[in-house]
Amino acid sequence: MVAKFVIGIDLGTTNSALAYAALAADKPQVQVLPIPQLVAAGTVEPRTLLPSFLYLAQEHEVKARSFDLMKAKGRDFAVGELARRQSAEMPDRTVGAAKSWLGHSQVDRHQPILPWNAPAEIPKISPVTASQRYLEHLVAAWHAAVPDAPIAQQHVVLTVPASFDASARELTREAALAAGLPQSLVLLEEPQAALYAWLADEGNRWRKQLKVGDTLLVCDIGGGTTDLTLIGVADEAGELVLRRIAVGNHLLIGGDNMDLALAYRVSELFAEKGTKLDPWQSISLWHSCRTAKEALLAADAPKKHSIAVLGRGSKLIGKTVSVEVDRELVTDLLVNGFFPECDTKDRPIRRRTSGFQEIGLPFESDTAITRHIAEFLAQHGDPKTGPVQPTHLLFNGGVFKADRLRTRLVEILAGRSKKSPPRPLAGATDLDHAVARGAAAYGWSKERGSVRIRGGTARSYYVGIETSGLAIPGAPRPLRALCVVPIGMEEGTAVDVPSQEIGLVVGEPAHFRFFSSSVRKQDKPGDLLSAWDDGDVAETDSLEATLPKDDSLPDSYVPVHFQSKLTELGVFELWCVGSQKEQRWKLEFSVREDAE
Amino acid sequence: MSRFLLAIQAWWRTLVNAEFGRQVAELLSGKPAAPALPAESAPFSKPEPAAQKQPEVVRRPQRSEALTLLATLQREARLVDFLKESIGEYSDAQIGAAVRDIHRDAAGVLDRLFKIRPIEAHEEGAEIQAPAEADRYRLIGTVHGAPPHRGRLVHHGWEAARCEVPEWSGNSVASQVIAPVEVELLG
Repeated sequence: MVAKFVIGIDLGTTNSALAYAALAADKPQVQVLPIPQLVAAGTVEPRTLLPSFLYLAQEHEVKARSFDLMKAKGRDFAVGELARRQSAEMPDRTVGAAKSWLGHSQVDRHQPILPWNAPAEIPKISPVTASQRYLEHLVAAWHAAVPDAPIAQQHVVLTVPASFDASARELTREAALAAGLPQSLVLLEEPQAALYAWLADEGNRWRKQLKVGDTLLVCDIGGGTTDLTLIGVADEAGELVLRRIAVGNHLLIGGDNMDLALAYRVSELFAEKGTKLDPWQSISLWHSCRTAKEALLAADAPKKHSIAVLGRGSKLIGKTVSVEVDRELVTDLLVNGFFPECDTKDRPIRRRTSGFQEIGLPFESDTAITRHIAEFLAQHGDPKTGPVQPTHLLFNGGVFKADRLRTRLVEILAGRSKKSPPRPLAGATDLDHAVARGAAAYGWSKERGSVRIRGGTARSYYVGIETSGLAIPGAPRPLRALCVVPIGMEEGTAVDVPSQEIGLVVGEPAHFRFFSSSVRKQDKPGDLLSAWDDGDVAETDSLEATLPKDDSLPDSYVPVHFQSKLTELGVFELWCVGSQKEQRWKLEFSVREDAE
Repeated sequence: MSRFLLAIQAWWRTLVNAEFGRQVAELLSGKPAAPALPAESAPFSKPEPAAQKQPEVVRRPQRSEALTLLATLQREARLVDFLKESIGEYSDAQIGAAVRDIHRDAAGVLDRLFKIRPIEAHEEGAEIQAPAEADRYRLIGTVHGAPPHRGRLVHHGWEAARCEVPEWSGNSVASQVIAPVEVELLG
């Protein structure tokens, strides 16, 4: 059966969405699919966003069949709006931010560990399974709306953070295939998807807005994460092309941090009035603070905004309390706190609070997004000319609904080049659905031929090799890193990695430590690093392969070298190729063994 | 209209409108009109081969959409709490403080479920001509002569551009509940 649609899925940290476009149309006409979901027990309503939350039901709720969703009867969990609302009142039973856990290689992502730190008697699920549940819900919504176009036969594009490494992408893919998405699934980086949404809105006009030599900074600040990408405009055979130059590291800071910071400050104002808020009221305060943030950071913001918290019981008015919040307070807390003035030399402040750090999510200790941007632009600049100076800026994520935050970022980036401040790209007004819409638009241009962003891999990858030499008792052997994938390796290509022969033991699993870097552009396959900066190179899940015993082999080990391959779908594969016989073994991520 | 759009429309109306659902069930069964029975809409199932595509006709407790709407306004905007409270004893300032939130959240519900918009685009106070087939217009004052009539716009009217009340699938015990009892466990 021939695909009729391209489907773009944004599996977000706090919200997910699905957009689609018919392949038969002359232009990509992208639409957002309404997603029926439980909004309260026994109540189903379609919404354009599916909150990425999962609520683990209590026994009596399962018995009462409160979470029946159409034909899915007797469910013991619920995803979407109901689960999001439950997260305040029953945090022990609610899974959130599963995606941030997917990208966190310090824990085993296949083990049931969420809700994190919940009491033992509460059922738990793994980050991979939670992601699968969200995707299954989107798939079911699609099948309900368009029953004659099974999703397994359509072209599906799923977005991931640009900062996800090969292992996190593989886990996302695993969850997606388990949810019924097709093998031909393509993973697309979110900031690129945002740019595709803009390109689809602009049509051919984009060629007038960007010219050769321009550099575009995509700044994507979602609920929980910040994702940075640099895209250059080049000329190839007289045609304008877009090329992804660099992506930032995974930053766990986003709009939710801002709303929480404000809610915390405002709850202090309530405390000064003698009002202590319960969890339900705290969530409604969070909601009110988001509205207050958008109102007080608007272009024509009032001086004050009243924030009220309604009484908890049925006596609503009698117990309602309110405070006046000044514009200065919000500006100081959010603009100066998250987007402080900074120049090109500023760097994020990193501190470890104590030797005993909890294994939980590695939230950024410095909330100054502008300093993270400064570091990113410096890392990818030129030693001679200094940090990258973007000529254009594309905002994505709900945070940028606040005018003041958009203008602030432009001001700070303009500080770098007084003459020509970066120009924000107009359009992309629908910040909540841009990534899903862009993913569908990308799928459409991939099938029908239209402008594409090139760039290959955003990271280089390294296999850890223990150097032979004098063993010192108690000290690990020195480790060297062999580059197997350079930055910018294109999809659909393979490289033989030149190296000395590596001996693989037969009949037992061989483990390799595995590293990646988003900044070491100079490394070529076969380069052997003996020292590196921990900030530049990060360790991820290790790789393993078990070579079956083969009687035709004279030795207990096989000399091999590496071959790396990037499939057309962007899936990374690393192979061991026997030096003597024509044999190949694929290395797999061994995420299980990495659990601590 | 493309068949795809038609399919989506038919699906939504089947979801939100029991009578429409019954008619769809009849159409699909190919039988002549049968007595009204609640027909289960078919979402959230894997696509089935055409031969098995008969919608299941299941009896299940129904409740009025009006109650579901009330429950939604209570859940999201605390509207029932507000209207049931006696406000005589409170100062205007205290009522005002609560009303901002209720107003914002209830308006959000109306926008989302009904997409309410003015019927008449002119400014109120302007002189306009009411169309001849004036079903959506109400003429007041001295009406004589044949339409169309001219007059001063007093109220621009409202209409719903959609109607998507949530679907309720709970059991009969809960069917009259607008807001459940809440009990916080101690310890």
